[in-house]
Formats: sequence, C-alpha cells, structure tokens
Amino acid sequence: MSDAFASLVHDLGTAFKESSGEPWPDDVFERWALRVFAYQFETNPVYAAYVGKRGVTPSQLDHWSEIPWVPASAFKAVPFVSGDSSRVQRIFRTSGTTAVGRRGEHHVLDLDLYKHSLVPNMRRHLYSGILPILALAPAPAQAPESSLSFMLGVALEVLSGGEGGFFVTRNGVIDTVGLSAALVEASARETPVLLAGTAFAFVHWLDWLKEQSSGGFNLPPGSLIMETGGFKGRSRVLERPEFYAALSEAHGVPCEAIVNEYGMTELLSQFYDGPVAATSGMALEARRHVPPPWVRTRVLDPNTLSPLSTGEPGLLCHYDLANAGSVMAVLTEDLGIAVNDGFRVLGRAQGAEARGCSLAMDDLLSGVRS
Amino acid sequence: MTTTFDAFWPPSSSSESPTAESPFAWETIDLSESLVVRYPVWSDDAAERLLDALKEVGTRLADVPVHYVVSGVGRVADRFLDSSDPIRSRAIDLLVPTAGISKEMASEVLTGMARDWTAERLDELLQRELRDRGVLDGFRRLDEGRSVRASGPPLTFHVGAGTVPGVSVTSMIRALLVKSAVLLKPGLGDVVLPVLFAEALAEEAPELAGAMAVTYWLGGSSPLEGLALERAGVVVAYGSDEAITSLRARTPVTARFIAYHHRFSVGLVGRGALTAERASHVARMAARAVSMFDQRGCVSPQAIYVEEGGAVGPGEWAALLASAMADLEVELPGGYVTASEASAVHQTRGSAELREAAGSGVRVFRADEGLWTVILEDELGFTPSCLNRVVSVFPAPDLCDVAGSLGGVGRYLQTVVVEGADDRLPKLAEALRRAGATRITSFEKAPWPPPWWRHDGASVFAGLIRWVDLEEIDS
Repeated sequence: MSDAFASLVHDLGTAFKESSGEPWPDDVFERWALRVFAYQFETNPVYAAYVGKRGVTPSQLDHWSEIPWVPASAFKAVPFVSGDSSRVQRIFRTSGTTAVGRRGEHHVLDLDLYKHSLVPNMRRHLYSGILPILALAPAPAQAPESSLSFMLGVALEVLSGGEGGFFVTRNGVIDTVGLSAALVEASARETPVLLAGTAFAFVHWLDWLKEQSSGGFNLPPGSLIMETGGFKGRSRVLERPEFYAALSEAHGVPCEAIVNEYGMTELLSQFYDGPVAATSGMALEARRHVPPPWVRTRVLDPNTLSPLSTGEPGLLCHYDLANAGSVMAVLTEDLGIAVNDGFRVLGRAQGAEARGCSLAMDDLLSGVRS
Repeated sequence: MTTTFDAFWPPSSSSESPTAESPFAWETIDLSESLVVRYPVWSDDAAERLLDALKEVGTRLADVPVHYVVSGVGRVADRFLDSSDPIRSRAIDLLVPTAGISKEMASEVLTGMARDWTAERLDELLQRELRDRGVLDGFRRLDEGRSVRASGPPLTFHVGAGTVPGVSVTSMIRALLVKSAVLLKPGLGDVVLPVLFAEALAEEAPELAGAMAVTYWLGGSSPLEGLALERAGVVVAYGSDEAITSLRARTPVTARFIAYHHRFSVGLVGRGALTAERASHVARMAARAVSMFDQRGCVSPQAIYVEEGGAVGPGEWAALLASAMADLEVELPGGYVTASEASAVHQTRGSAELREAAGSGVRVFRADEGLWTVILEDELGFTPSCLNRVVSVFPAPDLCDVAGSLGGVGRYLQTVVVEGADDRLPKLAEALRRAGATRITSFEKAPWPPPWWRHDGASVFAGLIRWVDLEEIDS
C-alpha cells in the first residue's frame, strides 16, 4: 500500500475513533475533505480526468462543497480505486435486481477504515450497552460481497461481544427455526438484543409469523430493531408506518425502538434516524437521519444540481471521508430535505418509467445495497 | 391565477349529461401553480347509469352513417389545425402544464396529431383497412360468394397512458368510426385533448354527443373501472406492463382486449447516409425524432447504430447529432421533468462521463443547461435510454449485425429507423422482422406514423370490429 494512503487511513481512523460523535467544526471537516480530495485526485486517474474535465484542481478549491461528485450509478460503470488497485481487499457489490442490470461495485482498499467508520457510529446510535445481535441477513462468510453482512459481522464481533448470529442463508432464505429459538432464548434470559436486517427480510419474517399464527416473540425490554434497505424490486411493499406497527406488535417493542439505517454499498459510512432517545414520542415522518462527523450531506436541485436551502426537497449528495480509497463525493438518487443536524429521506427517485411509454429499464437506477 | 380544468366530459352542468347527477363530488390534483385538474368521484350508481346510457347510444350508432362520423371528426381536426380557432390556443395553453411539454412542443404535437384526424386521412384509413367503408353501414359484396358487414361493439372502454398527448383521441376516433360508444379514462398527461375533442365533436356532430364520456381517475381507484371492464365489448389499454397486466386480468374472457404496452425504438444509419452531403441532414432528422415528445413516445429512438467505414464516421456523426440536438433545444425546448427524471439523466450522464474519463472510446456530448445528451459508445450493444432526450450512438461494423444485438429486448422492439442501407434494405428488413420490429421507417417519419399504421403489428380495426359473413344461400 502506498505510504500516502497508509498515513491517510491511519490519520482518518484516529480522527474517527477520537470523535465524540458531535459534528466537527466546518474548518475541521474542510481540512479533511480537501486532503482526501487531493489524495484522490493524485491517485485515481479516472476520477482525476473526470474532475479535470470540469476544470477543477485541488489547489483551486475554495470549499469542500466544490469537490466534484460522481453519480452512484457510476459504481456500475467503472472501478473507483484511489491507490494501488492490486491492494484491493474486498469488492462489495450492490444487489442485482434485473437480469440485464450490471451491479455496482465498491472496491475497498482498507477494510479497517470501514470498521473505523461503522463501529463508533453503530455504538452511538444502537448500542447503549453490549447487545447480542440477531441478524436477518446472511453471515459475512456466506455473503462476502455484501457490505451489510460485513458491517453486521463487525458489529457481532466488536460491539456484541461475539453474541448473536445470522439467520438468513446465502440464497436469502430465513432460518425461521434458528431465529425463533434465538428469540425464545433471549426472552428467557431477559437480556435485550439488537434485531437487525433488511426491510424485505423483516417483511418475509412477519409473513412467516402470520402464517404460523404466531403472535410473535416479545423482545426483552431495552431491545432494538434496526431495519435497512427499502423494498426496491421486491414483490411486497409496506409503507413505513404499517411496517413499524407490524414489527412493534410482533416483537413487543415500542415504535421508537425501531431505527432505520440508511446506507448504500457505494458509501462506507451509514446514517441512522436515531439515536433512540431523540426519537422518543416523535412521529415517524419527523425523524431525520444523522451523519457521523466525517460525512457531510448536501441537498441539490434535481434539475440544476445547485445547492438548495434547508427545507427544500432535492437529491442527496454525500461527502464521506471513509470513502478515501474510492471516491468521497457521491450523488444519490434519493430525494430528501436538509434539517439542522441531518436530513430526512423522502424516497427514491425512480427514473422515467412513470411517464414514458417507451421502455426505461431499472438497470439505469443505481442498485440497492445487498 | 389558478385555472381549474375538468378532466371530464360531458360537463356536469349539461342537462344532457348521461349521469345527470348533481352535485358531483370532485377530487383535484394540483398540476402546477397555475393549473388544477378536477375529476368526478363516481358512485356505483352513477357509474352504472353512465355505462347504461353510453351503451344505449352505442346500440343506436349503427344507424349513423360512417361518413357522418368521418366528416364530423374531420371538422374538429380542421379546427385544431386552424391557428385562428380559439380551441387551438386553448389546447396548447392547457397542454403545457398537463403534458409537461413546452409551448413550442405542444403546438408541434397538436399539429402532428390532428393532421391524422382530418376527413381525408380517415377516409384513406378506412379504404386501406376495409376496402369499402360501406361495410360499416350495411352488408357489402366485396368478393365472391358472400356479402360482409363490419361493426364494433356498442361500448368500448379505453385506458390511455398519458405519455403522448393526443394518442387517446386517436383511440376514441377509431371506436367511433366503427360505431362504438366510448368511455375513455385518459392518462393524466393526456386529459386535455380528449375533453376538448369531445366538446367540439358534440358541436360538429350532435348525434355523437351522447356516445362519448371522458373521465379521469387514479388507476384502480374508481368503481367505474371495474364496471367498465365488465360491460365493454372491447377494452383498449395503453400503459406500463404493470397497468396492462392488471387490466387484462380483470377483463372478462368474452371481451376483446387490445393492449399497447411498453415499447422502444432504435435507429440504424448506414454508409449510404454517411456521405458529406447527407450526414448532417440525417442527423437533424434524427435529433427531431429523438426529441419529439421529449422522447417519451414508443416511437422515440433510444439508441442509434451508425455504420463504420462511411465518409462520416460514428464519432463525427455523433457530434453532428449533438449539434442538431442543441439547435432543437432552442426550436422545441424540453418540457417539465420530475425530480426522478432529472435524476436519471444526471446518473446516466455522469456514469458515461466516467467511462469517458476511464479512457475507453466513449464520448459524451451534452447540453450545458438542458437535458439533451448524446453518448457515443465504444462497442456494439444496447442501452435503454432514461428518456428526456438522452440517446446512445453505437458504432456498428456492419448494419446487418445490429439486429442480432437487439435479440434480448426484441419483444419490446417497435419502430426501427433505417437510413442509408441502400440495396441492403430488403435483407435488413427481414433481419429486423426476425428481431421483433413491427415498423421500419425514416427518422423524418418516425414520430408521426400514418393513421393506418399497424401499431405493434396488428391491423387498426382487427380487434375492434366483428365481421359478419353472409354467404350465398341457395333458395
């Protein structure tokens, strides 16, 4: 690994670890962002050529917000590696939803930097103590291309003290017997747990409980549910209030103990619409996702891509320092509005299908995270 | 000032209204700051009464001669084409916020559509399809051994897509020509022309006034939908694969179901069109075909294959196309796009620019402010467009290879433009037929298929009419 990358990762990892979780002052984020951008401009010739075509160079930038973004769907088109591509440790891939669609790829040069980002962020939002994690997702060894499985694997090891397990097979089948047993055991031990997984896995789990005429499994007090991923390309879609009410009923947890993780394969940092304390008694639509200090999110006008003021809906564009080894600025297809300490996700831009009688295949949309 | 447009005909104030139910409950949709679209909420009873009334009028239409329909519709078309008639300016003003297109585009689209509704064009359609339009009025002896008569069902139910304004009027006209009463649920983007058309036709041909009802509702939300599917003899549906699937599943086996689902179109430019003299003209026509309807039509090319080895190469031709797209953005500006549509364009463009930056042969030509984008690809393939004037140009070593590369998406293929194939056209047409194409034409004609176009491969009246053969009976 190049010395420049090693020292950047080392310094970033230290900064992430030492962070209290409170937002960094503008000048601190600015310094980091410009350093990461300069590094990426230097070491990623594809990105540098793209940036160059926009007439931007690191020395000319006045503000981190001028760092050119790449569209999330470009992760399907080119490998983004800022550094020595022979040192890529892992390629995470977005889930494929169509036969023709290519999957997005995130080439990760240093998995430790991913860990340095995800661990403190999860701890802050989900772990008030050591909770065993019961994951409605495949185990990392079963799904090495899934960034979500990797993240939950790290959580199991580092934050859950090795307690818990994974209850979805590599083919996406829920191990209902195993999960039921684990839930019964948790209930008997009266130790709170973190039940975490993809929204569509939860929907299948809820369907299964219903088929069994099971009233569900009450989780011990203090337990949390973390759901992620949305329903893109799935046969069954639930609106969020309905979904949370069903989860709440099946597991005997209050709605405020259910947290959404907003994440994507293209970003190595995540956003939670917690912490739990702040969601107490708050209506679902009033919740907002809070970035860790090393991420800034801008909301851009969908047509002109110029920045919007707080409260106006637009496309979310994230600047994630944990993406140091790939590309830090990513324009998503998610619509949202900025609020003072984060953003509210309004939904996903769905391409032109709604109005075109001509064919607009959904492989033009960026993939959801697997 | 906000205008309210009633996506409904006949108007509720008319005492002739087959629903005769007053007051209506209304729903509204704010389409822009200046326009609210209002549509009635149908109770089970009102829906029942509307369909009974339409069917009753439809049964009596058999006695209305077809030339009465042709000349009435033709007079309405003439009015839509007459720039001094207030109906034309009203239509254009309302098309802008409802269809989400620019005023210039609205004018172009209205002219292109109404041209095909004139008496002359309708006569030509009937002649080509039926040989003798008199078969719609009575038995005619067209060949040996029998007389024949053609008629439509008393009631047809049309569901429009809303993608291209005017398409649902064409659908209405076809049903009226075969003497069927029409219930039309237009798509939200196409609510204006059917209502104005029905209003004008009721004036020009009063006997047809009671044979038309136009009313919008959100798909699946009205009792009228289920009831109309049960009662209509023919259901004509335009829309997404999902919408078509849902309507088809609810149409009784005894009714005919005519479906126009998602389609896409492509262009092929051969060496014969890549001469110094012709290349830029063909590029201008291609830009027009791509930009018309802001590329939302099934006839809009999404990808263009350009043959290598001509005097003008694919890269140079892509640059000509880009320049023509830029000119057209001024002549026929792009319309309103949703956040999702704009987002799709940014994602597509940005990804292509990164492939360009990666040193492949990809090149991106794009508007600074508008959305038009030309992506020159570096190898033969197919990429569906995200629409709104985004087109890929693929270099093709030989035009005859292109049909093969469309194999995977052939069941969605519709129009194929062929330019400059010269004497290879017959062979190419055969290959495109195998690939799934149903129409082969030029860029200039691509946006405006003639009224006798066999849309997606079926004769215009094939599903609408029922033939009766009266054979010679020895006595």
